[in-house]
Amino acid sequence: MKMEDTAKMTQQYSQSSWQNGAVRRKDGASAANTQVSWVGHRRSRVSDGLGYAGMAVVLLMIGLPVYWMTTGAFKFDSEIYQLPPTWWPQQPTLQNFADAWTSVPFGNFYINTIVTTFFGSGFEIFFGVTSAYAFVFLRFPKRDWIFLILIAALMIPNQVTVLPNYLTVARELGWSNTYQGIVLPGASVAYGTFLLRQYYMSLPREVFDAAKVDGADHLRTLWSVVIPLAKPAIISFGLLSVVSKWNDYLWPLIITNREEWYVLPIGIRWLMVQEGYISWGPVMAGTVLVVLPVLIIFLYAQKYIVEGIAAGAVKG
Amino acid sequence: MSRNEHRSISRRGLLKAMSAGAGMVALAACAPAPAVTTESESAAAPAAEPLTVLLWSSYSGKNGEAEQALVDKFNEEMAGMDLQVDYQVQGNYEETAQKVTAALQAQDAPDVALLSDVWWFKFYLNQTLVPLNDLIESQNVEVDDYHAPLIEEGYRQGVYWWIPFARSTPLFYYNREMFDAAGLPDRGPATWEEFGEWAPDLVSRNGDELEVAAFVHPDSASYIAWLFQGVAWQYGGAYSDPDFTMRMTEEETVAAGRFYHDTVHAYGWARPSKSIGEDFLNGFSAAMMASTGSMGGLRANAEFEFGTAFLPEHDFFGCCTGGAGLGILNTTDADILPYAMDYIAYVSNPENTVFWSKSTGYMPVRKSAATSDEMTSYYEEFPQFKTAVDQLELTRPQDSARVWVPNGDQIIGKGLERVTVLGEDAAAVFADVNETLVNEAAPVLETLTVVES
Repeated sequence: MKMEDTAKMTQQYSQSSWQNGAVRRKDGASAANTQVSWVGHRRSRVSDGLGYAGMAVVLLMIGLPVYWMTTGAFKFDSEIYQLPPTWWPQQPTLQNFADAWTSVPFGNFYINTIVTTFFGSGFEIFFGVTSAYAFVFLRFPKRDWIFLILIAALMIPNQVTVLPNYLTVARELGWSNTYQGIVLPGASVAYGTFLLRQYYMSLPREVFDAAKVDGADHLRTLWSVVIPLAKPAIISFGLLSVVSKWNDYLWPLIITNREEWYVLPIGIRWLMVQEGYISWGPVMAGTVLVVLPVLIIFLYAQKYIVEGIAAGAVKG
Repeated sequence: MSRNEHRSISRRGLLKAMSAGAGMVALAACAPAPAVTTESESAAAPAAEPLTVLLWSSYSGKNGEAEQALVDKFNEEMAGMDLQVDYQVQGNYEETAQKVTAALQAQDAPDVALLSDVWWFKFYLNQTLVPLNDLIESQNVEVDDYHAPLIEEGYRQGVYWWIPFARSTPLFYYNREMFDAAGLPDRGPATWEEFGEWAPDLVSRNGDELEVAAFVHPDSASYIAWLFQGVAWQYGGAYSDPDFTMRMTEEETVAAGRFYHDTVHAYGWARPSKSIGEDFLNGFSAAMMASTGSMGGLRANAEFEFGTAFLPEHDFFGCCTGGAGLGILNTTDADILPYAMDYIAYVSNPENTVFWSKSTGYMPVRKSAATSDEMTSYYEEFPQFKTAVDQLELTRPQDSARVWVPNGDQIIGKGLERVTVLGEDAAAVFADVNETLVNEAAPVLETLTVVES
């Protein structure tokens, strides 16, 4: 009954923001030449040109290494070293992928990476979503102080905590070469709490008042109101979390020392032979294999991020 | 139960309980099979539980396959003794050493570890290596058959600590086709002066730009300090004496540095390079000094015939050793020790060292291996390798400044970069390097007097 009203309101809010976002995007695309910019000046051709030039530079900076890696994966070593460089593989080959796959037990490493990323990101998102809720919607003494301490934790470089973490996890708990050993130290990161708290605070208060009037308790509010509204932020954060767990090298390297527990980035390191000559073809091929799943997740989740940006634009 | 014991158990218990509360139970429950099955298997048959020698190493790719093959062969032969070597790759030399350091802290260390030339000494200093003399005797290891410069590097105070396994040396490589086209003889230069005469015929320039160099200098990350060490000796200089007396500022060492400077900035036939191997492979340099360990990769990838030669001389011949060897860590159980030594002796025995050398390009560490039939026929097939083995007799263990001073290799290497890349005067640069080395060596010397008193 009443609960349904709140739910409807939530839905309406998120729908309208989505639609507005879509409209705004369409406007931007179709009427780029005449559109009035944010500060109210007419956009000139020069600033348009500069904008496109900027985009081209960024595209080159980000795209070129990726392009080089991908094409390199299909080249023979002699072609990779060739000068001047070739922009397209002249004798495309899949041999590098076969070499990479046979010289490193990637199958096993995939399983380990998937499991640790799933649980690592799962915990990180769970703790981020719930603790941010506490900081925004619960009233308890010294709340801002506790939040400040949390922010301070953000400032501690990862490298500093590696050794104490290692001693705790490996020596005290005896968890080297276990999934929990890989996952636990990164299970809760202040960054997520911080990011989501800021987003929660920007959400419209009326919705929560309505939920309260309807008699929703905290869990219900979190589940039915906050999470749907904050979906774009949660997904953006989740994506960052997945990418960082997937690519994490240092911690898994330290805490594992048996082949059956290694993760993918360690596998790429394996392709670079000690002392002597690095065969870049298989290294590139291995990197493509590792990057591909994350890329697919990224492409899939991309629309939610755009949605999130659009929603933000409407509020602003 | 003592008070202490009780405390430590409850601390571990507390941590575990805390993390269980954080929802880790679910995660622990889905731990995968491998480790668990081995445990339950050995639990099912406690009588036949094989002894395990845990080996940490650094090789992947072709070298890793070769090392795995050695381990498999050993395990097969030892199957009757219920003994197994458990081979685990940890990363490159640096990562392996760092992980051993960490694992010693966590009481999770391997029994046998592959330690590189610059790393084993740190474990010796921290007294975490097992002295091998008794084991060498009890397991009948023929130490005299190892090449002297190789085994001596891991020998201190009358005790063997570190046994050579994957050892390499610098070697002179040249592009035979380019030498031929320039009308030069098919051999390496006898002296640097001779190479200086040849060099102008080998280079080609595009305006002022040196396009094809006669020689390339690596950067510090590619161990220029390792390769230059021999050149310093050729000039009669050195980085240091074994007792850590630094010799960077000596006239002879500086003269060698000036020679490196002049090859780039006065004669103009050499060039500093990020990756000398690639320059050489692609015909952008006619010659280079590089590790014998690069030979396999060059052989597989070069589209031209390359030749190998002894390093050129100046006043003397000079060439250092390098690479990695095996040591036993003192956390190893007493009943494992003989088997750990057996494994080390096994992989460096004459037969296996031949197999290892052929698969990887590392030097055969045993004298008798170098003259074995199999090796002789390999020389005929691949004469470039014979040069490297012949040169081995003339090599010398490295200077303490590079291998025993913490980060010594990079300190010297960065100095050499200032000389080759920036064109600074060697005398000034080496004075700086000398000072840094003296400072960095001080704590080592202090520890050393305690350890060796």
